Amino acid sequence: MDPTFGQRFPGLRLGLIGGLCAVLLCLVGMVVAFNQREIISGVISMGQTLLVFTTVFIAYLAAKRSLPHTAARVMTSALMAGLLMVVLLALLVLIGKSINMRQVFINASPALFNLLLFQQENLAVGIGLMLFSGTLIGGLAGLLYLTPDLWRKTLIAGVCCLAVAGMLQDLVSPIIAAWGPLSILGDWLFTGNGLTIGGALGLFAATAALTALWRGKGEVVRERARRLEPVPKRNLKLFGILVAAVALLILPHALGLFLSEVLTIIGLYILLGLGLNIVVGFAGLLDLGYVAFFAIGSYTVAILTSPELGFFSLTFWQALPFALVLGVIAGVMLGIPVLKMRGDYLAIATLGFGEIIRILVLSDALRPWLGGAQGIGRIAKAQVGGFEIASPQHVYYLLLAGCILVGFISWRLRDSRQGRAWMAMREDEDVAQAMGINLVATKLLAFATGAGFSALSGAIFAAKIGSVYPHSFNVMISINILCVIIVGGMGSMPGVVVGALALVGLPELLREFAEYRLLVYGAALVAMMLMRPEGLWPAATHKRELRETEEAIIPPEPEPAVPPPR
Amino acid sequence: MAVITIQNLTKQFGGLVALEKLDITVKELSIHSVIGPNGAGKTTLFNCITGFYRPESGQILLEDYPLVGLSPDKIVRHGVARTYQNIRLFPNLTALENILVGQHSHLRANFLGIVLGSRATRLEEKMANEEALNLLRFVNLTGKGDFLAKNLPYGDQRRLEIARALATRPKVLLLDEPAAGMNPKESQDLMDFIRHLRDELKITILLIEHQMRVVMGISEKVTVLDYGKKIAEGLPAEVQSDPQVIEAYLGKGSAAKPHAA
Repeated sequence: MDPTFGQRFPGLRLGLIGGLCAVLLCLVGMVVAFNQREIISGVISMGQTLLVFTTVFIAYLAAKRSLPHTAARVMTSALMAGLLMVVLLALLVLIGKSINMRQVFINASPALFNLLLFQQENLAVGIGLMLFSGTLIGGLAGLLYLTPDLWRKTLIAGVCCLAVAGMLQDLVSPIIAAWGPLSILGDWLFTGNGLTIGGALGLFAATAALTALWRGKGEVVRERARRLEPVPKRNLKLFGILVAAVALLILPHALGLFLSEVLTIIGLYILLGLGLNIVVGFAGLLDLGYVAFFAIGSYTVAILTSPELGFFSLTFWQALPFALVLGVIAGVMLGIPVLKMRGDYLAIATLGFGEIIRILVLSDALRPWLGGAQGIGRIAKAQVGGFEIASPQHVYYLLLAGCILVGFISWRLRDSRQGRAWMAMREDEDVAQAMGINLVATKLLAFATGAGFSALSGAIFAAKIGSVYPHSFNVMISINILCVIIVGGMGSMPGVVVGALALVGLPELLREFAEYRLLVYGAALVAMMLMRPEGLWPAATHKRELRETEEAIIPPEPEPAVPPPR
Repeated sequence: MAVITIQNLTKQFGGLVALEKLDITVKELSIHSVIGPNGAGKTTLFNCITGFYRPESGQILLEDYPLVGLSPDKIVRHGVARTYQNIRLFPNLTALENILVGQHSHLRANFLGIVLGSRATRLEEKMANEEALNLLRFVNLTGKGDFLAKNLPYGDQRRLEIARALATRPKVLLLDEPAAGMNPKESQDLMDFIRHLRDELKITILLIEHQMRVVMGISEKVTVLDYGKKIAEGLPAEVQSDPQVIEAYLGKGSAAKPHAA
């Protein structure tokens, strides 16, 4: 088959695509907005990094797709892609300078053009610089593609580490500052805005060295760990778990108040995600009304504890079982009418259920009981032995306990008769039934379990915030949780954690760019579905047979002469 | 003694009569084939027996127990398992997990026992695992238990599907075109395997098959369907020379030619 034009000249095609993307990034205002944050102070800002990374990515892709795969063709493709991208950006600048585009594109501001022209007064010099830098970046990307594997990976790791460190400086620098003697390191690494030049070089060198070392020696270390005798292996594992546990326990104190607040939000989403993971990930029932159970959990705690309504004044712990039971009952009640529905029909019916609950709590008719649009305030905080769990640093522990409990239950269920029944139903409902699985019971149990977890999350949410409003329970929450488990990996429990960190944690840390949140969300989802549809941390397939036979092959230990005491 | 007795079975889809007043008796420990041209109602018959379709009238008895009206999961509990014409494994579960799903109705663990990890649950899981490994060995898939079902080659998938059906501990096994897509050597192996199933595990076999070599090779009794009606029944050789059967397969007038079959 003859290659198409695009296949023959990948530089042209990708350069055009990349250029259009870059123009779009400029016109929606992302570049200028991101420019407030410096990655390396006085050298490069986040806005510039965004453009540079796009160019490198496109040119690298062009280099990779060039045919025939000779060094000359690779370099031409990469150069062409880089040049074409800046040509499109230059066109944008020229058009923007000659006519006023701001009536349509409000972000086509002088600030943007100054940024693109490297702050040059002279248009010709600025455009010249643009074209030069674009070609240069394209060329560097081409060279990067041609460098040997080890060097390339090392370079990429170093640069990515710099970008992440610069982007998350608000997260990293206060943590370092809190660690007394380490604060010297923090002063060396960070200025008020961005990394110092020396810090950047040092960080780059350190990351690169570590990457190179791991790539060189990592296999040996892993092999040695694999060869360990069972007992030291188990000790190593226990040690790892211990370290992780201690890290989790001291986390809120190491991170400070603001980041603990972010952690609690992530924790809520992990809890919700683990619940939805059972319904969608294990049992394959696409539930878009999942927020309803979250609302039921919250409102149950609110009604039972708030003196504002004045019906009951239970404590949080007294109200919690009611919230869970009501959540489970609601799960079953949703489950019964949708038993016969599959796929899209199920999604629409559950979506409706979610809205019904929100509109019920919003309604004026039910206002005396549910608070209406004004919501319910003065919800009791959780108390442990007279101590009130109020600050985010303490709510964190409540959520940690919840996540561990729910994670443990999920894990046990997944590897059981019940989990297998769910997964069989997800794979093929008819055949699952022909294998003796009672679909009604299995579906209802999935809905009920998921709903119970969601209600737990809702109860903690109510106690954390202290008040509930109908607008906290809109359909976007359901969609967000679904995104968390899709991005993390359907049916994977570590995936839920990774997904929540990426989709909930990251946006919280990059608050000043909140207006681009949904744009980035959408782009990330599309990219995920194209490049890694199984998720960031896909569910592992179980190696049951190997494990069983391995155990069988290992010769039985000789009987000890004296039986060990029991 | 009859294991499955079908009496006067009628199944309609709107105006189309898929099965009409069908009577079939499957003897215990026999290998019984159902053949017929495409659209004769063979798979519909299987779907009626396993509870996926509810027949308009008629009886299906397993030994003396009426199956009509029961849901598929109840019927499999009574001891009727099946495989599918186009293989329907659980593609994203491993081979071993596929078999473990087949054991579902023999496991007792409940929600609380699972979450608390009770002794009974753990013991039961261990036994189920051992049985699944035995079944893997029985269908010659040892060492492939950790492969995802969708990654197994075609022949292995066929055998895995049978192993999954066996995991339900059936009295009667319904095989829907088990030899589809197999070469002569593979179908020969399959015939030996089916006989082995019957002799070793004492399972009655009812199968649909298009490959005449297989049907004639292993069947003890053959029932021929055409347009939902039984047109012939008997020993393979009798059926083979029945003029009505030849007509159904090859068209009118073919019966006169001596080498038609």
